[in-house]
Amino acid sequence: MAERRRLDLDALSFRFVVGALSAAAVVVLVAPTVIVLLTSLTASASLRFPPDGLSFRWYRALAGAGQLQRAAGNSLYVAVVATAASAILGTLGALGIARSRSRWSRALDALFMSPLVLPALAFGFAALMAFSLAGIRLSWLTLAVGHVVVCTPIVVRTTVAALAQLDPALLESSASLGATRRYTFRRVTLPLIGRGIAAGAFLAFMASFDNVPVSLFLSDARTEVLPIHLWQIIETNLDVRAAAASGVLIVFTLLVMLLAERLAGLSRQLR
Amino acid sequence: MTPSMDRRTFVRGGLAVGIGALSPGHADARDQLVVATFPGTWNEVHRDILAPYFQKKTNADVTQTIMLATDQVAKLAATRGQPPFDVAILDEGPTLDAIKQGVLEKYPAARSAHFNELLPPFRGEWGPAISMQTIGLAYNPKKIKTPPRSWDDLWNPAYKGRVGLTALNSSLGMAFIVELARLKGGGESNLEPGFRALRTLLPNVGAISANLGAHSALIQQEQVDIAVHNFNFIETLKGKGVDVDWVKPETGAPAWRTNLHIVKGAQRPDLAFEYIEGHITPEVQAAMAKPPHFVIPTNRKVVLGGAIVDKVARTPDELTRLVFHDWTKINEVRAAAIERFTREIKL
Amino acid sequence: MPARSDGEWRLALPVAAFFALFFVAPLGVLFVVSLFAEPTMQTLALRQYARFLGDRLHLGILADTLVLGVKATLVCLLLGYPLAWVIARARPRVQSLLVFAVILPLLTSVVVRTFAWIVILGRQGILNKTLLAVGLVDEPVRLLFTELGVVIVLAQVQLPLMVLPLLTTFGRIDPNLADASAALGAGQWRTFARIIAPLSLPGVAAGCVLVYAACVTAFVTQTLIGGARLIYVPLFMYQQATGANDWPFAAAIAIVFMFAVLFVVVLINTVGRSRRALVHG
Repeated sequence: MAERRRLDLDALSFRFVVGALSAAAVVVLVAPTVIVLLTSLTASASLRFPPDGLSFRWYRALAGAGQLQRAAGNSLYVAVVATAASAILGTLGALGIARSRSRWSRALDALFMSPLVLPALAFGFAALMAFSLAGIRLSWLTLAVGHVVVCTPIVVRTTVAALAQLDPALLESSASLGATRRYTFRRVTLPLIGRGIAAGAFLAFMASFDNVPVSLFLSDARTEVLPIHLWQIIETNLDVRAAAASGVLIVFTLLVMLLAERLAGLSRQLR
Repeated sequence: MTPSMDRRTFVRGGLAVGIGALSPGHADARDQLVVATFPGTWNEVHRDILAPYFQKKTNADVTQTIMLATDQVAKLAATRGQPPFDVAILDEGPTLDAIKQGVLEKYPAARSAHFNELLPPFRGEWGPAISMQTIGLAYNPKKIKTPPRSWDDLWNPAYKGRVGLTALNSSLGMAFIVELARLKGGGESNLEPGFRALRTLLPNVGAISANLGAHSALIQQEQVDIAVHNFNFIETLKGKGVDVDWVKPETGAPAWRTNLHIVKGAQRPDLAFEYIEGHITPEVQAAMAKPPHFVIPTNRKVVLGGAIVDKVARTPDELTRLVFHDWTKINEVRAAAIERFTREIKL
Repeated sequence: MPARSDGEWRLALPVAAFFALFFVAPLGVLFVVSLFAEPTMQTLALRQYARFLGDRLHLGILADTLVLGVKATLVCLLLGYPLAWVIARARPRVQSLLVFAVILPLLTSVVVRTFAWIVILGRQGILNKTLLAVGLVDEPVRLLFTELGVVIVLAQVQLPLMVLPLLTTFGRIDPNLADASAALGAGQWRTFARIIAPLSLPGVAAGCVLVYAACVTAFVTQTLIGGARLIYVPLFMYQQATGANDWPFAAAIAIVFMFAVLFVVVLINTVGRSRRALVHG
């Protein structure tokens, strides 16, 4: 009996600690999103929580915020270009390294992954100096190139993971049935790793759209992007417009995420 | 629905978006002028008053980049010939610096319709002074019942952990330490007494902000209850319903001119000129001088009123008798002072 | 090259060329610039490194940044580990809901997430109001513009990066192991300490590396929550690079910073691997 109680206490305390900590984690993860949404609905002219009254006035104010819209447009533009390029480069890179065990391919793997671990800010600064010393003027193109460098590793990673699950027997049987390599790639490989590429492309898009460390150096007032503009107006003015813009971004993220879940089974690809 | 259908739709949708984004004319659909602005009040009046006026007049878009004066000069010096913005907004000290660095164009005053409407001290050769900024004591009247009267009130033991300071990278921070030094027996070239006084203030300091705008946020978030701050910034906050008020110190309010300049190598010098012209018209200055911003006008045709008269100066003549520092001398010690502030003034 | 993938590796060549041109070359430029003695870049010398490493203020900034990352990573681990455990063992419906709750913040703009915390951590913010109402404190606690505040926010912002790799690891652990341990009479804590924890070490290491690398370079969070007086390497480097226009000095800071971060990352990886070897050997 005493033995039994000790066990219960053991199980109970374990459950309690794990439960409490994970509940705290969920609250911490979700609360900021909810708070931004509530704050953005404030009726007052200054940032307050809880809001003094509810209104959509700051969302309406966004309609007249030309510069914010231009920054959002620039971000979208750069993100689309960077995502397309990263998807192509990332897929090629993954196909090239995934099934080879050679020293070269392992070195390439390390090279392709390194932008994920090295401080991106250092790379942003390095790219700024390289472009500047090469006499290349900053433009949306140089910005997109910088984004491609940090986005490609993401596509490589998801695509390599998808390739790893691909059964080599499938390819061999396709080949033995007389299919050309091109045909096998189009009809067998690509459909099977398509979801991996799509998930990678989606993550790359979000990473580019939200990138600060590289944009901080490679974008200027003429190619201003949304996260930098938002950071600026929050740091310098604590503008309520920023809350409304955040609200729009959250809803946008939610929609894109649901879409990605439908199309590519995003949450499965991430694990 | 089969997976391949999904994919096809996905690819088609993606292509449509891609082609739409890549089609030419995205970036340069309209003429665009890029201007620098300051945080806080300045960003707001430029966005809400000057930009619409300019857009109506020229049919061009304005992009504003928020940057402190010293950062603007550094950026211009680093990108000679390819400046990232066409109009600079600089306080007196940085203006002198920028002239020395050769990054500004002389202002084509002969072509200007309003240049001669400015009071004489505001007709700068390198660009007109569009306003004057002045600093004093900002406080939260809900938390501090007796309004402060002099800088010495910041040392009041009751304000332990409630005072807000700002770094020396802005004219606000610089003017404050120079004024402290001046009142304690030093001056522009001898900031030692100022630093000594600041160190004794530290127990009272609750936060030190990075720049002017963040300084306002300290007050807006009630992170501090009393602070050194710009007159305009506080009036703007007050207009938004924040509990705050501003007092001119007994010893006088330090003040300086704020100028607009056409940048050397500007992509659109024509639009830059139009933008600056807009800022010195009586129409725009009168709109900015109204509540809640109370931007001090420099055009003679604008009548002083409201909080400007109540708190800063009753007549244009009184404006010229605020406390003015010698920014040529300050420029000489500025870099060393910023470095020293970073090392010594820590919370 | 293995015969089977004949020529497949060539597909990676254009990518390698792109990385060589736009990633490796700029880093090379970064290194070369760091060797110049003055901003005008005339003479070569190691002066910039001496300037950074020979100054207690600068070393303090570096140490603060590295320690900040460690603290935030530990908080992430404390919250993320149990959460990943719960998610891994939850029923499918609950599981997908929780995974969604983890991924949403990962994909929401960092600026937006940090912005929310300004509202939460202020002297009159939600947290302080709650603490005051409950009576835990008598006067508002300073959180905004303090290291504690930065740690809290970094931990939240990067938490998904900890949970996701852990989820993968827990998914691979055979549930029969825990059952077997229970059947042999071991309590939950004991099973956890002896079986689950050692087996999950690779996931812990992966999560820690990702979180750490992200935390130390989190410019937005560090500047918005830390304010002006808490200077970490990213802000300091940025100031030197764009404010002071001292490219050689900023480049030297970037190089030192990269190696310091790399060192910690390798250290985490080594610990993760060696402990694993101990368990299995």
